[in-house]
Amino acid sequence: MMAVPNCLRCLVRPSTTSITTSVIPQSQRIVPILAAPFSTTSSVQKAGMQPRKKAGIPGKGSLSRAQIGPNGHIRAGKKMQLGKFKKAKNIERGKAPAPGERKAFRKRVLLSNDNALPVTGLEELSAQGLLDASNVGRMVALPNELVDQLRAVEAFKPTQSWGMFRQPSVLLRKESVELAKKMTETAGRGETLKLVISGDKLVGKSMLLLQAISNAFLNNWIVFHVPEGQELTNASTDYAPIPDTKPTQYSQQAYGLRLLQALRKANASILAELRTVNPHPELVQHFPVGSSLLQLANAAREPDSAWPIFNAVWSELMVKGNGRPPILFSVDGLAHIMKMSEYRSPAFEIIHAHDLALVNHFVEFLAGNKKLPNGGAVIAATARSNAPRNPSMELMVGRREAELGYAEEKPVKEPYGKGYDERVEKALEKVDVLKLRSVSRTEARSLMEYWAASGLLRTAVDEKTVSEKWMIGGNGNLGEMERVSLLTMRY
Amino acid sequence: MPPSLGLRSAFRALTIRTRPILQTPLQTNTFTQARELTTDNTSAPPPNTPGQDGMPLPEGFTGSDKQEAQLSGAPGRQGSQDSLNQLALDQLQMVAYGLNPFNPVEVGHKYGLPDLPIPSKMHMKHRYDPVIVQMTKLLMRDGKLSKAQRDMAMILNYLRTSPTPKLNPARPLIPGSPPPEALPLDPVTYITCAVDSVAPLIRLRGYKGLAGGGKSLEVPYPIALRQRRRTAFQWILDAVEKKKSKGSGRGMFPNRVAEEIVAIVEGRSSLWDKRNLVHKMGTTNRANVAALAMRQRAKR
Repeated sequence: MMAVPNCLRCLVRPSTTSITTSVIPQSQRIVPILAAPFSTTSSVQKAGMQPRKKAGIPGKGSLSRAQIGPNGHIRAGKKMQLGKFKKAKNIERGKAPAPGERKAFRKRVLLSNDNALPVTGLEELSAQGLLDASNVGRMVALPNELVDQLRAVEAFKPTQSWGMFRQPSVLLRKESVELAKKMTETAGRGETLKLVISGDKLVGKSMLLLQAISNAFLNNWIVFHVPEGQELTNASTDYAPIPDTKPTQYSQQAYGLRLLQALRKANASILAELRTVNPHPELVQHFPVGSSLLQLANAAREPDSAWPIFNAVWSELMVKGNGRPPILFSVDGLAHIMKMSEYRSPAFEIIHAHDLALVNHFVEFLAGNKKLPNGGAVIAATARSNAPRNPSMELMVGRREAELGYAEEKPVKEPYGKGYDERVEKALEKVDVLKLRSVSRTEARSLMEYWAASGLLRTAVDEKTVSEKWMIGGNGNLGEMERVSLLTMRY
Repeated sequence: MPPSLGLRSAFRALTIRTRPILQTPLQTNTFTQARELTTDNTSAPPPNTPGQDGMPLPEGFTGSDKQEAQLSGAPGRQGSQDSLNQLALDQLQMVAYGLNPFNPVEVGHKYGLPDLPIPSKMHMKHRYDPVIVQMTKLLMRDGKLSKAQRDMAMILNYLRTSPTPKLNPARPLIPGSPPPEALPLDPVTYITCAVDSVAPLIRLRGYKGLAGGGKSLEVPYPIALRQRRRTAFQWILDAVEKKKSKGSGRGMFPNRVAEEIVAIVEGRSSLWDKRNLVHKMGTTNRANVAALAMRQRAKR
């Protein structure tokens, strides 16, 4: 085909065919050639165009081509990428999680694993069984009602491995029986047990506290449990100064409501039987003398009204006699409530944790300034992984440990040491200390047999295995033993 | 008559067939073994074992002279009835430890002597399953192996506590995999099944400019088992990176990896399509293998 561009140019519309077939010089073209014609495509042009590269073909793109993976991993045969320091566009898909949702997912506690084999022949934990010294080194299952109660007071922790077994069960160790005996005897005399549970990391302090709480529930005590001491002092719940207090104390209404809710969930049957003996004129609602304590506790619906009701419930529980049961008041994570809190006063000064009314309430009992009239126990467990440095607390607990024969030498105060706190030292002066130590091999064996029976430890449990796990688990540190035998890559 | 060339059968061997839907063989032995561990040991209080918690060791462990003499059975120097009883008790105790009291080699060793040759898993560097080791190294970032190991332990733990996977018959697992109900309690097999099932058999290699017009010639070539696993796990990590985590904290990355592994086994994962695509590309480009060989021969 001969092209006659000059004469035909004015007559013929430059169609797509002519563009591709004719050789119009670039300078003479009226309409520029578009890379992609917008409406129609002739078959000739289509054939002439290169096929579009398919995006995202694996194998082609990700294997042969050098690439940095989206996770930042450098693959072999990488080529230089220009513009790699440009910020990647962050395309948000879906809705963002609601506030607190991600934390709730992290903190959720699973108490059962349907894959684990049910362990037959386990006895259920009972009040009598906890006192029986012959039960030391035995696994016991927690009865269902007790599990509900423990759940209500948040005694189960997400870091404990409840979610691996069919049913929550605990190992009764020497200290658990000792503690249960101590609690029962002290409460029987109408006195208050003031105890701090100390010990190494992962040795089972929170688990022992859980057994103490179980003992309280099984003996129909009233239980107030603060699952994390830090929640009281790290400025995460609202607070307000209490009028007419000197030095000024601060109430934590939302947390008070939380404690009340846990109380009425866990102890409803006991509260329903107890009757008020005092009129409570300070409350908005009228509670005639003789109404049940459950009614009183149920009146707390909003954080705004919770604080007076919390006080009223406590004042009723502190009445001597009248069928009032003993009380267990416990805190996990003692170091957090023995320091300056994160709260600020109206003058923007840091508030001491002991000026928070709830903490103060606990510390008064722990120090022995106040007594539970119907007996009971005030127990605090120290934590090792999540604990701010607290020289005064460490000193006092260390001293008490030395006095009780757990250590050779009494620790002394550093002469130029900073950060000592007189209020803390005073509070912990007369406290009893239980230093939790590692388990014996007999106890370890019983626990490992339970693991094996659940199908989680897939070896024969003989002396050799027990010794091996006992030794590499920090000479019988239960948490470490669990780490090396259950939470490991080796099965 | 010339013998038939047998081309027909040769071509049949070349055809690519889809894999038959897997009839999972019932391998119940591992599962039943786990069940047999359910002994009644937990209901009875454990006995006080000598040699621990302050109790003295029986003489059978110390291998004293007296013991040797008695074991050798010299009738003339028999001790009193009591010592014989004690000896019998000690021997029983040794049986309880899993030792043979009449084996002179074992006397004097608390746990006997190890079996020779020492099994490979007893070696410090080979103590984990090879698949797990490889995956852990791929999980590792910035050389932090112990963090990767903790993540891997969490992944395995997630798999152990996840419910029995519901297999998709359209996405069969690799042949020889155990039944789904045996998977959760054996997380190493679980992860191996998942990774091996989506691992591609081939990789495409591009030869620059060989296809003409500056295009590269894509040539498929088979890859070894370790490479296949590596590719599959890289894909898993790529998929995980695009997922949003439900919670916060250090447990969420292993959580997402484990979710992806469960998704693979249940046939929900997009990695199956990815694998199929690679295989399809390999099939379409298989002629390039010969083309490449011809070119290389021509060059020589």
